[in-house]
Formats: sequence, structure tokens, C-alpha cells
Amino acid sequence: MEEGVYSSSRTDNMGKKGKKLARKVEPFEFKQCVSILKSTGRHARNLSQMRQVISTIGDESIFHHVYQYFLKGHIFEYTNDFAHWAGETLEQRALAERLSNIDPYTFKSVNGVRKELIRVIDEFLKEFPRPLDVVEGNEFYFVQTVSLVFPSGIKTKNLAEFLVAIDHIDPTSIYYHFYDSRVRLGEGMVDDFSRWIEHTLFRKELADRIRDIDPFMHSIERLRTHIKVIVGEQVRADMEGVVI
Amino acid sequence: MIKQYSGIAPKGDLLLIQRLCDKLQGKSFVHVNSTREGGGVAEILHRMVPFLNGLGINTRWEVIEGDNSFYEFTKKTHNALQGNKEKFTRKMWNHYYEVNEENSKKLKLGADAVLIHDPQPAPLINFRSKSSKKRGQVWMWRCHIDVANPAGSVWPNLKTYVKDYDAAIFSVPKFAKSLPIDEFIVTPSIDPLSDKNRDLSEDEINEVSEKLNIPRDRPILLQVSRFDVFKDPIGVINAYKIVKKYNDCQLVLAGSPATDDPEGEEVLNKVKEYAGNDPDIHILLLPPDCHKEINALQRMSDVILQKSIKEGFGLTVSEAMWKEKPVIGGAVGGIPLQIIHGITGFVVHSVEGAAFRIRQYLNNPEMSRNMGKRGKEYVRTNFLLTRQIRDYLSVWYSMKNRGKHIIEL
Repeated sequence: MEEGVYSSSRTDNMGKKGKKLARKVEPFEFKQCVSILKSTGRHARNLSQMRQVISTIGDESIFHHVYQYFLKGHIFEYTNDFAHWAGETLEQRALAERLSNIDPYTFKSVNGVRKELIRVIDEFLKEFPRPLDVVEGNEFYFVQTVSLVFPSGIKTKNLAEFLVAIDHIDPTSIYYHFYDSRVRLGEGMVDDFSRWIEHTLFRKELADRIRDIDPFMHSIERLRTHIKVIVGEQVRADMEGVVI
Repeated sequence: MIKQYSGIAPKGDLLLIQRLCDKLQGKSFVHVNSTREGGGVAEILHRMVPFLNGLGINTRWEVIEGDNSFYEFTKKTHNALQGNKEKFTRKMWNHYYEVNEENSKKLKLGADAVLIHDPQPAPLINFRSKSSKKRGQVWMWRCHIDVANPAGSVWPNLKTYVKDYDAAIFSVPKFAKSLPIDEFIVTPSIDPLSDKNRDLSEDEINEVSEKLNIPRDRPILLQVSRFDVFKDPIGVINAYKIVKKYNDCQLVLAGSPATDDPEGEEVLNKVKEYAGNDPDIHILLLPPDCHKEINALQRMSDVILQKSIKEGFGLTVSEAMWKEKPVIGGAVGGIPLQIIHGITGFVVHSVEGAAFRIRQYLNNPEMSRNMGKRGKEYVRTNFLLTRQIRDYLSVWYSMKNRGKHIIEL
């Protein structure tokens, strides 16, 4: 799967009529990321303290506890660390549900997520204004990360190669291109995969189908399966000359 | 050496290690600790040093030496850092400093990265050459023990040294302290290829069973750990006694003496006395290099415990999980990070809890098998040596790129 020239006769699907000449295709380079944890030195023993720390801690810590939740190998019934702690340690299920319902990808900035977390916690504290301390050792520890991003050594230049690659790449690669990209690119709902498929392969409809996958509702492995199914259908249709 | 891990360790970890070693090619890395044998730190260093040398990082391992009073003092500091009340005098702290000063004259500490393990050699930072920082050398202090709730003045005293490092590394977030330096979290690891963790044939396991006189005709419960009150060997015996009323089984308590642990013998004698004449309790004091024997003991066991009441990380849990064994661990230190309760094992808070979970395992072999399988995969992804090497190199490299949250390699 090396860099090369992609020649396609399916220019009608490319969105740019008339360009029938061989085209130099910028390959999709799969990258991976590894995050090293750093302590912020701050922790919370109860919900009020958590609210206080959330309001003042750096963006990097909020980013880790909310956005990087999906990078964790094991998936629980929550969607961020704050909800997890509320549910499992504070045993406040209603609060955990409300915090879990915050979709970080609908906010333009980490600060927007921070404000929403505070709003949800404040609402809960109005109902239950005297939060109890957790037992020693069960405090919430705020951490942040340093992310190291590096090429996986896999490049693809067409959909068939992409399909093979998506099956084999590391989960952190899917995280980097599907979740992290939404924050990195600052375009809200855009991931690296659909961006390449739309702007390099000119397959807008396929890109839209990938964008329709709700990142919030899947583990990384389930996401891999979804992408495989969608791209696989397209590759088969291309081979058979069927328009999806 | 890295090739040996291909197909075992996650590919992404190996890839990043290679990338980082390319970036740090030819640089030097020195580790310093207080014992060459016994304990998880020494075991990992035995493998990590040749691994990094093989990738072009000039890596050395230095060991400090001290007299009996030094080790008695550092054992006390170890206990106090884990929350036990201990008495210290200024004279003891001075001697601790002097022993480190003596060691600083003998050890070769000039390197691009210096990683000092645990409190014993912590004062070596005071003997860092003046030009070291200017030359971009990075000094890191690695704390392997549970320092979440230290007793008395031990931490303030130790902190006077730790604050002068460039970075500190703790095993879990709750151990991290309030320090004016960068603090990283790096969980420890096991080596899947070492004698302690490699695959063994049935013949090899049987050979050890015969050698140690442990019959395999009944279920075996095992705890492998130093004879240390924080590992709660008496609690394990009590749990076994509860189980024994329902299930015929035997208990093996196996540990090795460590040169930096003068209290071990005293605890061992207490445990032997407590076990009494029960022929189904096997108390084994094995030499520190009996890795294959420990491996075989773990593989022949039906349930493996680490019922610690204080713990740094508790690597024996990962060792057991790597062998697909059902595990039970105390809810302390790094144990809950390894055991996802109900998924890769059980976390317990009492003797009764341990007894109940042992019975559950013994009566549900299918559940035990499933937990064991999930445990192995969890260890593969999170607790293998390659991940720890990856993290140390990442910390070093990120210290050379301070202030960056994203580093492109």
C-alpha cells in the first residue's frame, strides 16, 4: 500500500466532471497515538469539590477525562470519567446519566464542555446540596496527557486498500483519525477518514455515510466494524458496477 | 531483542519504541536502585537494560550499597511512606544522606537520562553535576510504592530531594504528590518472555510440583509475595480456613527474601507459627532466582490471590492474569487498575470477601476460565514490559519537549 497514482474511470462519482486524466492521489497515511498520563496534583473528594476543580483546571485535563474516554481499552456504561465516577463511586446514577449524555463533539471548544459539565453538576447540587465525601482512596484524580503521534507505516491510495487497512490498524489509530480529528481539525463533525474520502477520492456520498456514524455510541472496535461494513459495501458495488 | 516480542506485545507499542529509539539513538540512560535481586523493580531492570541496549540506547544499571543501619532505615521509610508509624531521628536521615554521598562517588551517574528508583537512592540528586541540566540531561525519580497516605514526617523529608528532580513518576494517579515538578503516571509491567512468565510444558510444571512437594490432586490457592505484613499472609490463611470448610483445597504461600528487607524473616516466622501443623498449607521461601518455580506454581494453581492491605502495584496479579488464572486482589494500590471487578477478576475488601470469591471460582470453572482469558488480554494490552519501556522513553522524550501536549514523531 504505497504511495502511487490512482487512475479511475468512475469520474462521474468523483464530483468533478470532465477530469478523466490520471490523477495523483494523496494517500491516506494512518497515524497512531499514545498518551502518557501526567498528574495535575488535584483531586476531589465529593461533588462540590469536583465542580470546583472542573471550573478551574486546564483544558488538557477536561479533554482527557471527556474526549479520551474512548481511547480506554475497556468500555463501561458511561461516556466520560466524570460520569463514571458519579455512577460507580458516588453511586449517583441520575447524575451519571446526565453527565453521560453530554456529547463533547457538539461543542466548539473544551471550554464549552466544561461549562456544560458545571451546569449539569450545579443542577444536581440544587436538588442535593450536601454531597457526601467518598471513602479514602476513592477520590477523583484529575490527570492530563502528553500525546505522541507517529505514523503506523500504513498508507492507502484507494478504497480497497483502505478496507484492508482498517481491519488491521491499531485501535489508537482509529481513535486518532475518527475521534481526535474532530477536535484537532476544529470542524466539529469531520473525521480524517471521511475527509480523505470526500476531498481526495471525491466520494462524497460514502463520506457522508461514514459521517453518519455516531462516534458517541460506539466503542472503537464497533466503530471499526461499522466503517468496514460501509466501505466494504462500496468496494463491492464498485467492482460490480452498482451505484449505491 | 525487540523482535522476540513481535506477535506477543501490541504492535503499536513496538512501533513507538522503535520511533523513540531512533530519535534518542546513541544517547545514554542509567537506572539506579538498591538491589539487584528480589522484588519487581530488579526483575524488570534485568530485562529492560539489554532490551534498550539492543535498540541503540546505551543503558546501564547501577545499584547503591549500604550498611545494615541504612537498609533498616530505608525499610522504615518504606513502611512509613505506606502509612505505618515509624520513629526517625535526625541521625538516621543524616546517615541515609551520607550513604548516598558515598555511593555518588562510586557510581557513574553521567547520562542523558537518569532514572532513580524508589527512596533509597533519592538523595543522589544532590550530587548531580552542575552542568547536567545545561547539557539537557534529564533526572527522573521513579516511585514504585504506595505513597498516597504517608505517616508522619517521612514524606516532607523525602520531598526535599524529590523536588529537585526534573520529573517524578508514580504508578497510579492517587500516589502522585504536590510537587513543583512534572509528575507522570507509569504503571509497572511484567515480561512475558522471562522465566517467570514464559509458557511451560506440563512436564516442567509437574517437575516443580514434585520438587516442592505440592500435590496436584486438589485445588491449589496461591499467593506469591514477599513475607511482609502489608501483603497480609495471615489474612490469606484465614480466608483459606473459611474455604476449607466447604472445599477441599491447599494453600501455597511463596516468597523470596530481598536484601533490602530485613523484616522479612520475622514476618515469615509469624506466618509459619500461625499456619501451625496444617499439612495443606505450604509455606515456601524460595531463592530470588527461582523464577521458573514461581511460574510453575502459578500455572498449577486454581486461584491466585494478592490480598494486600497496602500495595505499590502488585505485579503478581498481572503475572497470574497472564497465565489466564482467576485472580483475587485487595482493593489497594494498583490492584484495582489490573482487576476490573467482575470482568478480569475480583477485588475484595476483607478476609470474608476473599473466601467467598475463592469459593465462587472453585465452584464455577467456566466463569474462572472466561475471567482468565479476559485477564490475559487485558494484561497484553496494558501491563507488558514493552508498554513500560514505551512509557519511560516517552517521558524522557516529552521532557526534552517540555510544554508540548502533542508531540509528532
